[in-house]
This record gives sequence, structure tokens and C-alpha cells, in this order.
Amino acid sequence: MAKLEAKSEVSGFVWKVETELGKRVAKGDTLILIESMKMEIPVLAEADGVVVKIAVEEGAAVNEGNTVAVLEV
Amino acid sequence: MRDDTKLRADLRLVLDAQAERLDAARPGAVARQEKRGRWTARRAVEAIADQDSFVEYGGLVRPATKGMEGAADGLVMGTAKVGGRPVDMVLYDYSVYAGTQSAMNHAKISRMFMHAEKHRLPVVCWLDGGGARPHDMHVTARPSTPTFVVFARLSGLVPTVGISPGRAFAGHANLAGLCDVLIATEDSAMGMAGPPLVEAALGKKYTPEEIGPASVHWASGVIDILVKDEAEAIAAAKKYLGYFDMQQPAGEASDQTVLRDMVPENPRRAYNVRTVIQALCDIDSVMEVKAGYGKAAVTAFGRIAGRTVGIVANQPMYLAGAMDTPACLKMARFIQICDAFDIPLVVLCDTPGLMVGPEVEKTGLMRHSARVLSALANATVPVLTVVLRKAYGLGYYIMGSRPLEPAILVAWPTAEFGGMGLEGAVNIIYAKELEAAATPEERTELHASLTAELKRSNTAVESGAKFLYDDVIDPADTRDILVKTLETLPQPAPRAMRKRVIEPF
Repeated sequence: MAKLEAKSEVSGFVWKVETELGKRVAKGDTLILIESMKMEIPVLAEADGVVVKIAVEEGAAVNEGNTVAVLEV
Repeated sequence: MRDDTKLRADLRLVLDAQAERLDAARPGAVARQEKRGRWTARRAVEAIADQDSFVEYGGLVRPATKGMEGAADGLVMGTAKVGGRPVDMVLYDYSVYAGTQSAMNHAKISRMFMHAEKHRLPVVCWLDGGGARPHDMHVTARPSTPTFVVFARLSGLVPTVGISPGRAFAGHANLAGLCDVLIATEDSAMGMAGPPLVEAALGKKYTPEEIGPASVHWASGVIDILVKDEAEAIAAAKKYLGYFDMQQPAGEASDQTVLRDMVPENPRRAYNVRTVIQALCDIDSVMEVKAGYGKAAVTAFGRIAGRTVGIVANQPMYLAGAMDTPACLKMARFIQICDAFDIPLVVLCDTPGLMVGPEVEKTGLMRHSARVLSALANATVPVLTVVLRKAYGLGYYIMGSRPLEPAILVAWPTAEFGGMGLEGAVNIIYAKELEAAATPEERTELHASLTAELKRSNTAVESGAKFLYDDVIDPADTRDILVKTLETLPQPAPRAMRKRVIEPF
């Protein structure tokens, strides 16, 4: 089992956490929505796996490249 | 069969001299490169050139400075075929005085660049070395070497590809900076000067990797394609050169119906435009350049039904696709490359406009956004525009709009057209009405209903009725329409003159 960090491509605020701890997700599923420039930017699962960590709370500021969730794949 | 057992002395002399420059005769040098974890220049030649196609030039050259020895004086060069097409190749050999530029190898490389100019051959540069060789400083010919001038003049005439597989400093970095496309390995380092000169100038000791690691050059837009190692670098160079074979047999495409759902129904929801590019192009044909820089735009080469195209797209994942200075610089230069070599441009528009505010003014966006417009307005290569979603303001005007006379201009059902965002437009158009609202709640409600009304009269079909686009299409038909449009655009005849220079950045 390998850990896969899901990272935000942009700086912004966490708009919604669209997944939950322990949830099984498929590649391409939306994990977190970041708000930036009046847009919702999804952070997607890059592979099938299980969410083992959610690193941010709704409303929190994130920087480009920050890890927002961790999957076990 | 040749009988090499009984040779005349004069021929023996030549064959021995030829053998001396090969890796087999230089086990020590090969071992040193292996210890660095790097390839030798000749191993790279073997990997780049089609089998048995390499013809070496200047392989017998020795250093000009007395007492120095070095195979081919540190530069392996010649003609070869890559994917069946002829090229000129120049490869600095790090095992000879750290791949430094000497008086003699300057004469060699200038010869090769002039050869490329005269015979219109693409140039591949393997830039593994540390700038000028100090020992040669008193050799008269060196200060007046035309190397960099001749290479700069190849811009727009023939494709130039640089590979930085290790260290490229000073003169090597200057050549790297002139290449149309620069490929670098993740552990490579480049810079205007290496540690000794930096220490002399700044009084501080740095390692080459501290001065100019690949990560820095990737983020600054200097590196076009970042790769893991030499093998990947060479594969990328070959793929890039392959695009100049303008028409190959049509490749397969993925299921086109997925394009119908690529732009989310929720207008605030971003999507990755790379997935659109991948779906429109032949499978495995896409090569993105400068992905680490100007992230509000995506620039990529690809093939549509075998025909080479350049794709310029806004990236809604970053700044909502608003065009900032890095995105504009990236797009403008990419357009110049495509125009110089008659590669049709596919423009995918989804932008709220040019980026605004005091911060972007400090970056000179007025001038840099003008570069994109200027590049497209002066390009003679066909432009095929697809409006995916937002088409606002001067951003849209620049992204292949009607005044730029695209060969075709189509829009998806999600296309939104406007001089500015509709919410903002309502604020201005209905300022008096909004002011007159009795309470803030009423004002918000009025604003929402006016915006909704404007949106209803602003659907893609309504815009089609006003002939803003040549057609509004099913996204699943996009590729088919691009293919048919490209078929109406014949390949231009080979050019006798250079069409344009490509700015280094």
C-alpha cells in the first residue's frame, strides 16, 4: 500500500470537503473544492484508493502545491 | 569483404586516429562519466541517431593549446537521421575538460550551424559542459567565434532543440537560451555562470545545483520539457522533431462523447483543459511545453488525424483562466514557433479576460498581453478557434476571436460571451435601478434577477443567432470539424525564405 498525496494546483480557500475519512474513491473523483478567482477548482483523486487523511478544513487558506488529502492506493 | 589485416601505413594512421576518439578507446573517460551517473556524448549519439546514419565532422580535431589532449576536442558533431529525417547534431563531451568550449570546438560548432543554415537542417544540441575553457583564452580565434551569432540566426529558419543532461553553464547556457525548445533532466543544473565566476562576482560559494537547479528553470519558463533522465530527454527530442513531419497517418482518438461533459454544468466549477486537449488529439500525440510556467495557459503540440497542430488554451484550473503575464509570454512565444514553421494553431478559449489589478500592472501585462495579440495578428498560419466556455473582454479578442480571421470559429453549448463578466456588467448597466432598491436584500435580489435575464439572452444559441461564431456545435463533433477544416487548408509549399524569428522568450 502506497500513500498518494492529493495537492492543490492553486492558492485559494477550501470551499468544500467533498469526501470523508475512510471513503473508497475512484480515480477522477473530486476530493476537495478550492475556491479561487470566484471559481471552484476541484482537487481530484489521481488513482483509486481510500482516503486516509484530510489535511484541511473548510474555509482554510491553501497555497499552490499544499497537500489537502492523502489516499492509500 | 574488406580485409583490414594488410593496410598501407597512411590508411592505418587514419584508422587508428579515428578509433582513438571512440568510447571503446577511452575506458577512463567513460568510467568518469559513469561515475557521475551520466551518459557519454557518443552514447547519446547512438540513442538519438537512426542506426548507422551518423556521419561525424571534425572528429580528428585536437585542442589548440599545446600539451592538451581530448577526443574530438570535446565536441561530437555531424549529420544524422532522426525518425528518417535529416538533422545536424552537436554534442559537448563532458569527459573532455568538462565539456568546455574551446577555440577549436567553437570553429567546429560554427561550421555545423552554418551547415544547418545552408542546408535547412534541424539542429539538436547536447549541452553538457561548463562554458569557456580557460586554457584557450590566448588562442586568437576564440574571442571572435561566431558560434552564438550563427546559432541565433537559425531561429525560425530550422527547428532547434537543446538537451541539458547534466550541467550547462555560461556559453552552454547561452546556447540553451537560444533553442526553440529546451529539454532538461530533473537533476540538471544551468546558469549564466558556474561556481568560480559566481564566487568572484558575489563573494559567495555555491554549488552548480544551488545556482541554477532544474526546478528553478522549470518554474521560470526556461525549461520547456522536464524529464527524468537522458533516455527520456532523447525520446522527447525525437517526439518534438517528429512534429515537423507535418502529416502522418491519422491516429486513433478516444471516445468523443466524453467531450460533452468536460465543461461542468455549474459555471463556477473549474475543469482541467488538458483533458480536452487529450481527447481532441490523436492518442499519445500530445506534448505540452512549459507546463511548469504560465499555468493559466496550456501550450502543446499534438496531432489531429495525423496533422501536426499547436494548441493554445486557457486553463480554468489556474486563475480561472485569466491571462496573466507568464501565461501571455508562454502563449506568445508558442504562437511564434507554430507560425514560423507553418503549424496550424488550435485555440481553446475559456477566459474571464486579461488578469486585472495593481499586482499584474507591476508585471508589465499591458505589453505582455500585447505580445499575444501581436503574435496572432501577424501570424499567417491558420487559426482554428473553439470557445469552450468564457469568452470575455479583450481576453477573448486575443484568443482567436472573429477579428483575427480564424479559419473557423466554433463554440460549445457552454459558451458565454460578453465584454466583461455578466454580474459586473449588470452593476454598470443597471446602476441606477440597483441604487434605487429600498434595502440591501432587495438590491441583491434585483441584481440576481437582472443577471439571470442577461444570461437567458446570452446563451450560445443566441450568440450564434447574432453570428458571433461560425457555428455552435456538439462538443463531440469538435474533432471531426477540426479535421474537416484542416483538410480545407493545404500544406504550404516549403519556404525559400525564413518567415520570422522566434523570440528566445
